[in-house]
Amino acid sequence: MVQPNSTKRGSLSENQAAFLLLLPFLTVYALFLVYPFFRGIWISLHDWNLLEVAFNPAAKQFVGLSNYERVMWGRNIEWSLFSSPLAQLLGVIALLAAAWFAMRLQLSRVTAIALAIFGILLIVAPGFHPGPEGRWFSPRFWPTVGNTLLFVAWAVPGVTLSALVLAAALDRETRAMGILRTLFFISQVLSVTVVTLIWQIMFSPRQGLIANITEFFGGSPVVWLTDERFAMAAIVIATVWWSLGIAMILFLAGLQDISKDLKEAAELDSAIGVRAFWYITLPNLKRTITLVIVLQIILHFQVFGQSHLMTNGGPNDTTQVLVRYIYQTAFRDSELGRASAMAVFLFVIMGAFSILQFVIGREED
Amino acid sequence: MKTTVVSAVLATIVTSGISAQELTLGRFFGACEDAGTDTKTSVGEACIIQSIINAASEEIEGVTIDTLPTDWGNYYDQLKASYAGGTPPDVHVMHRHRIPEFAGFGALAEISGDLESVGIDPTNWTDSARAAVSYKDGIYGVPMDLHANLWHINMDLMEKAGLVVDGKPVLPGSPQEMLVHARKLKEATGQDYLAADFAQFPIGVRMVLALMWQQDANIFSDDGTATINSDAGKKAIETVTQLFDAELANPQLNYADSQQAFLNGEVAILVNGTWVVDLYTSEAANEESELSNYYVADFPQLFTEGATWADSHLWAIPSPVKSDEKKYQAALKVLAFINEHNIDWARTGHLAVRQSVLDSDEYAALPHRSEYTATASIARDTPPSTQYGAIQDVLNRELQAIWLTDKPIEAALSDAELEVQSLLDR
Amino acid sequence: MITRRYVWLVTLVSIPAFLWLVPTIWMVSLSFQPNEVLARTTSSTALGLVPIPFTLQNYADLFAYGQTPLWFLNSVIVAVGMTLGVLLVSTTAGYALARLNFPLKRTILAICLIGLMVPEQAVFIPLYSMFADLGWHNSYHALIIPRMAVPIGVFLMMQFFKGIPRDIEEAARIDGIGWLQVFWHIMLPLARPAMMTLAILTFLYAWNDYLWPLVSAQKLEYFTITLGLASIQSNFAQSEGLGRVMASGVIASLPVVIMFIIFQRYVVQAMTVGGSKG
Repeated sequence: MVQPNSTKRGSLSENQAAFLLLLPFLTVYALFLVYPFFRGIWISLHDWNLLEVAFNPAAKQFVGLSNYERVMWGRNIEWSLFSSPLAQLLGVIALLAAAWFAMRLQLSRVTAIALAIFGILLIVAPGFHPGPEGRWFSPRFWPTVGNTLLFVAWAVPGVTLSALVLAAALDRETRAMGILRTLFFISQVLSVTVVTLIWQIMFSPRQGLIANITEFFGGSPVVWLTDERFAMAAIVIATVWWSLGIAMILFLAGLQDISKDLKEAAELDSAIGVRAFWYITLPNLKRTITLVIVLQIILHFQVFGQSHLMTNGGPNDTTQVLVRYIYQTAFRDSELGRASAMAVFLFVIMGAFSILQFVIGREED
Repeated sequence: MKTTVVSAVLATIVTSGISAQELTLGRFFGACEDAGTDTKTSVGEACIIQSIINAASEEIEGVTIDTLPTDWGNYYDQLKASYAGGTPPDVHVMHRHRIPEFAGFGALAEISGDLESVGIDPTNWTDSARAAVSYKDGIYGVPMDLHANLWHINMDLMEKAGLVVDGKPVLPGSPQEMLVHARKLKEATGQDYLAADFAQFPIGVRMVLALMWQQDANIFSDDGTATINSDAGKKAIETVTQLFDAELANPQLNYADSQQAFLNGEVAILVNGTWVVDLYTSEAANEESELSNYYVADFPQLFTEGATWADSHLWAIPSPVKSDEKKYQAALKVLAFINEHNIDWARTGHLAVRQSVLDSDEYAALPHRSEYTATASIARDTPPSTQYGAIQDVLNRELQAIWLTDKPIEAALSDAELEVQSLLDR
Repeated sequence: MITRRYVWLVTLVSIPAFLWLVPTIWMVSLSFQPNEVLARTTSSTALGLVPIPFTLQNYADLFAYGQTPLWFLNSVIVAVGMTLGVLLVSTTAGYALARLNFPLKRTILAICLIGLMVPEQAVFIPLYSMFADLGWHNSYHALIIPRMAVPIGVFLMMQFFKGIPRDIEEAARIDGIGWLQVFWHIMLPLARPAMMTLAILTFLYAWNDYLWPLVSAQKLEYFTITLGLASIQSNFAQSEGLGRVMASGVIASLPVVIMFIIFQRYVVQAMTVGGSKG
């Protein structure tokens, strides 16, 4: 039986309407996201030279998982507990912290589990190393992943902490505060190439503003972008400057959700300033903080432009990051198969964080 | 750009239906937007090549040229991407060292049979130039130059250090002597002896390569065995690092910074290519510049034989273009035009590739030309390999690790050897 | 209520706010200085933060010779095209998923949800090779289409439509108005704020995207301003003056900065929503 009101004037049934409305999206989604995704996995199973295949489509060769092995594994790889004590110790600490917090119920279960998984990974992963006569097939891959993690490890806390402090200070609905917020946010809308353009010259030892200032005070300028000790710091600084805005906005939104009563109660208790921030604001912002951190991890793990344009991954590969390595492997070395294997690796890591983000988001609702 | 667009549009409107052939042209060398069509007065690589291209677009009947992006950074990545995407430029510049890769995969048109018909005489090319465009039995491009590393010298600083005799700089004949000179110069002037881009582009790599070749060694043999981790490799690197250790040179300067240091009179010698001779000549003529007495020298012989890094720029046509006869002929005409203007390109400082140009008075009259005549005979490069770019990258990284991050030389050399070997084994 | 503490706070935060602005001020200031001066020193007046000596030459050159105006136009075309495309697919699919009942709804929803996990960087290689087979590179649609497949917008719109009270459309349905008319005449006008938010997010993304245009566009005619600026950057030491490059940077940033200031409220909203959901 067709409902009378949907047949009037020959209009569509609910199913037909839904189909019609979904069609545009599902088409582009299937063609330009789902299909490429599987095609990427397919490419990663082939020895596929960009240039060669272009002129001879038959030149691609199925090689199974060998690209993954070539990228991530090596000859005579061994595992031992104490091969990288520092990272592994950190892992143990993370694991203990997770257990302790979980027992005292100071963390949500998800966060505790995430922390525990992170700790276990830190214990297990750095334990792999080439044994005698052994070596990695791609000696640059894991250091590149390490650099990416290092970048994330600096940029994320840098952005989160400064954004949190600023948001707390700017959490007032006045004109002056509005203007200040705008000032901090404006760099967020610049494109990555403008950001790198500005900071490349800022950091230049001959033309840079920073060098001009140090010279003004009689110091000798730091060669930021080509000094191993400062190159990573330089791109982190540029990144924090660039991406502070969104984190600050998210914190401001989170702060507004904290009820007025709570704040007023705190004021009656004469808990103001730093103490109020510590005992009232912070605990109530816990979810927002976790969310911002996960978001930033996802965002910064995909860093490309800063490394590609400011340092070319140098000096000595210290700022080489995963996406740039994928780009180079594909378009400079023409190794499309290997590059795709790395892209799948990237997807797995990103996917893990997305799931984490999703679960946290759910918990919030 | 605007003018090319406008003229391209006009050309299509006016001659639509007749026979205007539009060609896309890919090149690096940087941007020069107001280059004009006067090929005789432009200065610097970017403007000279663009003026030649603009002139070709104007003078060749029925051919208009659209120049693609001109930046260095992603040139080969983008070129490969365009080949793989089926839209390569109709004519493009490339280096000799890329021929094995591009010709090997069948990407380039073989043009040996069609050169004479457009007025290119391949017998007029020098032997090294002919070798540069040859692969297996074919010819895959038209050579434009031989470019090599030179020593660019600030004579005022050298004079102060007593390193000038008869108007010529006194250059070292051994690594030990180089250190002595460098100390002398530091004492007399307080400035560094030598600079180069040791921090970003592989100018430092090219210097070390030259020093290895000077000891009759190489980074890998013709049969594909890596031979970097050798006594010669160590000696070559130590020749450079002794300057850094004694603080007579700064490894942290990149291309722009090292050049600026030289132009500011803060360093006596800049190791850089032939491509900047005209630029530094005009800077030296500029009264505001700190560099006033400029001299160019061949890369000196510090070991048993002379050698300096060298490569060639050449122009090639993608193989798919050959199937469109009209377009192919137009592309050949552009190649012929560039070949014809070899003397103009040589004005940059590059060595010409046509014997008739090399023998001409006009060529001999180019500034500083007589100061680096030996370069052509000591020019060298690594054996051909499809992995050239990746190998250079390995060397650049490991060498930077030595001088920027104090990695032990032995460790860097053995790492480099392993990595290069695995690249050669692919 | 202005207390002394408040005044202190404003003063205290103004210092980092000024520092935050310095790099931008410097870029603008350099763009107004002559290249010959900049070649020698970048700190003529007040560490270079004040453009004295002053010139407009860089901007004049930019518009006379440079490709910047063309790239600018391309960016506008791509950003507007992408925005319209994303709006089209997101509003329709978002509405269907939020309000209509049809078979396999949960499955479709789940499949779209998984798509949220795939970052652009993980699919750019297969997309590149796919577009190469299609001969699509160096075109506007190659730059626009990939982003339309990202399901963030769909979820954003779905969330919004779910929040609209059902009685409005039910009244319309009882009057016998078809689903598509309800969507077009009733729901879309109501969704304007959410569409604005989505539009701004998409526009900013399109304006600033770098990796995909880098691999897809090899011809100057299809360079976006972001890509063009990157190509200038790797060149500037050799040919173009620092002032010119900075002027390009200013031109590239101006529209997004102006847009941000005008639509600040929406942008903030966009960031909050986009941030927590997508």
